[in-house]
Amino acid sequence: MRAMNRLCVRLGRMAWGCGAPIRVRPVESRQLLHTGPRSLTYAKQLFLGLIAKEEVFPYPEISNEELEEIKQLVGPVEKFFNEEVDSKTIDQNAKIPLETLKGLKDLGLFGMQIPEEYGGLGLSNTMYARLGEITSLDGSIAVTLAAHQAIGLKGILIAGNDEQKAKYLPKLASGEHIAAFCLTEPGSGSDAASIKSRATLSEDGKHYILNGSKIWISNGGLADIFTVFARTEVTDKDGATKDKITAFIVERAFGGVTHGKPEDKLGIRGSNTCELHFENTKIPIENVIGEVGGGFKVAMNILNSGRFSMGSASAGIIKKLIEMTAEYACTRKQFNKKLSDFELIQEKFAIMAEKAYVMESMAYLTAGMMDRPGFPDCSVEAAMVKVFSSEGAWQCVSEALQILGGLGYMKDYPYERYLRDSRILLIFEGTNEILRMYIALTGMQHAGKILTGKIKELKKGSLSAAFELMGKKLGSVMHRKINLGLTGTSGVVHPSLEESTKKLEENTYYFGSAVESLLYRFGKTIVDEQLALKRVADIIINLYGMTAVISRASRSISIGLQNHDHEVLLANIFCSEAYMKNCYMMTQLAKYCPENQDDSIKKIAKHVLENRAYTCSHPLDRTF
Amino acid sequence: MRSLRLLIAAHKLGAGLGHTPAVEPRGVQFLRAVHTSSPPGPPVNTSSTTVARFEDAFAKDQRDKASFVQVLDLFCGRDVRRRGHIELIEAALRWMPHFGVEKDVEVYNKLLDVFPKEVFIPQNFIQSMFLHYPRQQECAVRVLDQMEYYGVTPNKHTLFLLVQTFGKLSHPVKKYQRLLYWFPRFKHTNPYPAPLHLIADPVALSKVCLERIAADRDAQLTVYQLPSSEVRDDGTVLEHAHLVGIQSPDQMCLLADHDPEHPVIVEGPFPLWLRKTCVYYYVLRAEPTAKIKEELDPERCFYYPLQLSLDLERDLGDDLSFDVDEVEEGPVYAMCMTGSGDEKTLGKWIQCLQETNPVLGQLPVLFRLTSGPQEVSPPVQEESESPKEDTRPSEEEEETRPYRRMEQ
Repeated sequence: MRAMNRLCVRLGRMAWGCGAPIRVRPVESRQLLHTGPRSLTYAKQLFLGLIAKEEVFPYPEISNEELEEIKQLVGPVEKFFNEEVDSKTIDQNAKIPLETLKGLKDLGLFGMQIPEEYGGLGLSNTMYARLGEITSLDGSIAVTLAAHQAIGLKGILIAGNDEQKAKYLPKLASGEHIAAFCLTEPGSGSDAASIKSRATLSEDGKHYILNGSKIWISNGGLADIFTVFARTEVTDKDGATKDKITAFIVERAFGGVTHGKPEDKLGIRGSNTCELHFENTKIPIENVIGEVGGGFKVAMNILNSGRFSMGSASAGIIKKLIEMTAEYACTRKQFNKKLSDFELIQEKFAIMAEKAYVMESMAYLTAGMMDRPGFPDCSVEAAMVKVFSSEGAWQCVSEALQILGGLGYMKDYPYERYLRDSRILLIFEGTNEILRMYIALTGMQHAGKILTGKIKELKKGSLSAAFELMGKKLGSVMHRKINLGLTGTSGVVHPSLEESTKKLEENTYYFGSAVESLLYRFGKTIVDEQLALKRVADIIINLYGMTAVISRASRSISIGLQNHDHEVLLANIFCSEAYMKNCYMMTQLAKYCPENQDDSIKKIAKHVLENRAYTCSHPLDRTF
Repeated sequence: MRSLRLLIAAHKLGAGLGHTPAVEPRGVQFLRAVHTSSPPGPPVNTSSTTVARFEDAFAKDQRDKASFVQVLDLFCGRDVRRRGHIELIEAALRWMPHFGVEKDVEVYNKLLDVFPKEVFIPQNFIQSMFLHYPRQQECAVRVLDQMEYYGVTPNKHTLFLLVQTFGKLSHPVKKYQRLLYWFPRFKHTNPYPAPLHLIADPVALSKVCLERIAADRDAQLTVYQLPSSEVRDDGTVLEHAHLVGIQSPDQMCLLADHDPEHPVIVEGPFPLWLRKTCVYYYVLRAEPTAKIKEELDPERCFYYPLQLSLDLERDLGDDLSFDVDEVEEGPVYAMCMTGSGDEKTLGKWIQCLQETNPVLGQLPVLFRLTSGPQEVSPPVQEESESPKEDTRPSEEEEETRPYRRMEQ
């Protein structure tokens, strides 16, 4: 059976290699088309209260050939996961069996985004996301694959030179070598300054000697190729030496690489996570990724590019869970009524469907944007997808467990495993808290650059600026209709989504004003207003989600996809909910900290942290 | 009416007793004193003889709770009518601190138990209207006053006794209610309560004190030297005082960043009061230096920008900080407590600190010691240089001397 699959894939690959009609545009050729980096991206424009509709409308599509190719790929992979992957055993033994790994390698899943010339599948981001839906059915495998190619070898792929690519990528693509990404250290999570690993240039100047330890390295025990970040001494233009981070490709064969025993984890137990120690590891200088001292940018780029696929992966999990729980809810009877007849159970299914729909829409919209020619910077969008989908997945898995009641809690059923596995989504690849800061601050920086002049004039007391502001305020008091051009004669949205679109436009418009007033109030000290920034991030995530569902549902109706009326329902319900939430959060943003509870939050936290304990007297305590 | 009858009965009984002075001459004498002299005013001045007698009762060698209670029991058991109870209670109140029972609610209850029950309860509206048995009520209030003074919260039993003695609407009960209203509210007003009973062991006491001043949960306490005495070859006894120090990781970081151009200063002793005990401590500090504003490395955080490159400041409306003129204070690097504040011991402290703070080896150390009470007896000798000072460059030597001379 496996041989058949392999044959299929190989055949497919051969066909592309010969330039057959089902050829996908490989990564390289796509990059030739670009016409310089584009500065505009959708999310950043939202911070100015503008909708760059050409970026997100119409919803990105792939060609029929690509679709055909995806189907060819998806079939065997799905079959493999359904028939040959035993997730329960993987979870219990905390190890992925060798034959399963071999099957994954044979399917080419270790080189999904590696260009074909290096022996990979050369998938676009969209197709990568599609396969992610299936590989996520087993959390351990998904994480192993992601650690390998979304971060592990990404450094070579995006910043490596041709020799490095030619040397390493073929073996990584075939899965002969597995890659790992080594950044985290015992004393350093996201703080580059506390990285202790150090690489010093040898006397002959041909090698770097690497010393240091890394912790929680996914695939650390399996990998042969490591992307390692370490401090190196760099001489400035003016001659001063400075410590800077440099990225290296380290082979296990270089010697001096040892790893600890695999960590015992809550979820994704089958994935291999362990400590790594480098002791006088000799790295040839040609193994520096990018330039010496440029490791920080490499790390940021790798991290920023790896996140978007989590949306489709989470959607894949939820879709699977909906199938499983719906089966149960429609067969189990209580009081001569099926579980599915109870409204409270129905609600849970609605929530799951809605979340899955939004995640999917956001993920493929982002993937589509990333696949466009040029080097579109979609890191903010990718971060939004990650935050929304990881939280949605956690909520939905929990709801699924709730539908099943006690049964979901049992180890005999897979649900608790899904719950454990999905918890990591909120933590890795940048915790959601950190990503919220990234989303909000990146947008604020963008908006700030454009609005600085205007705000300064306003502060100086310029009349025209004040009048403009008053006009705006007056307009909002008189409930002026806001039209950002998505609907109407030159509109891009189907009329059945007009209401939701109006909500999106209104939210966007007022979000722009909210951002402006935040910049006016806090200026560059907004960095320290994390509670406000969290709201900003939540609003922008909602706005992006609204855009994604409106765009997708619009397309579905327009081209008459199956069940498009259901899509419209899902889109509308999400937009209404998000609209209410956004309105609430914007009201809070407009208030000063004593009024929106931020003050109280800070005070409570301060007290608790000063005492490092919950200090309230016990309810049974007395004073006399 | 009932109380009146009781009173008359009591009077008769007293008179009867007066005719038979053989049994308890003292009680009779006292009884007469009460009945013959009843001028208004504080009971202390009523009769010096009777009060003195009760003072005698308390003037014991063994002064503890048991003996105090014994006196009260003796009085209660002697006479069913409790003649002279006010005088006894007054005397007892004065003696309480000497017996070490001034904070014991049980003893106060015992004291209130001395009052004869029920006789002072007003029986009709006229009695209720006026102060019924004023001296007794005032005496009870005085007992409660003393409880208040020593911060003793009365309990249910106190109320029971007061109600039994004076009735629900009496002044002592009112006083009791007020005490019980305020005391529980004030019980936890001090967020840094000093321990009720201080430890006698100087090392343990120093630990408590240092933790109290440092107010940093990460701070590391170290006992550098336990108190001991050593007999030298020439027969003189060398006393080693205890030496306990505290330093937090933050302080270690600060010290590591200290500019070696400037000296660090050992200063003290400073007093610290814990209830009624005063202890002294020393600090290792530096003069305030101009703060260098730390530039954030733009390549610091892998995930999000730590600062924005915007030319906009915070608006006044959101600037909630107060405009405070702060006195520039230098950093404090460590603190210690020791039995003897001479330079030798403190030098040893610095030497011990050097093990965890190697930077101290390169820093000049100034000793700026005022003569604290502990330094009065042993005169500081110029020759007794701390071992630390040997490693110091010679110009610091000059620098330290004026200070030392200033102290002496």
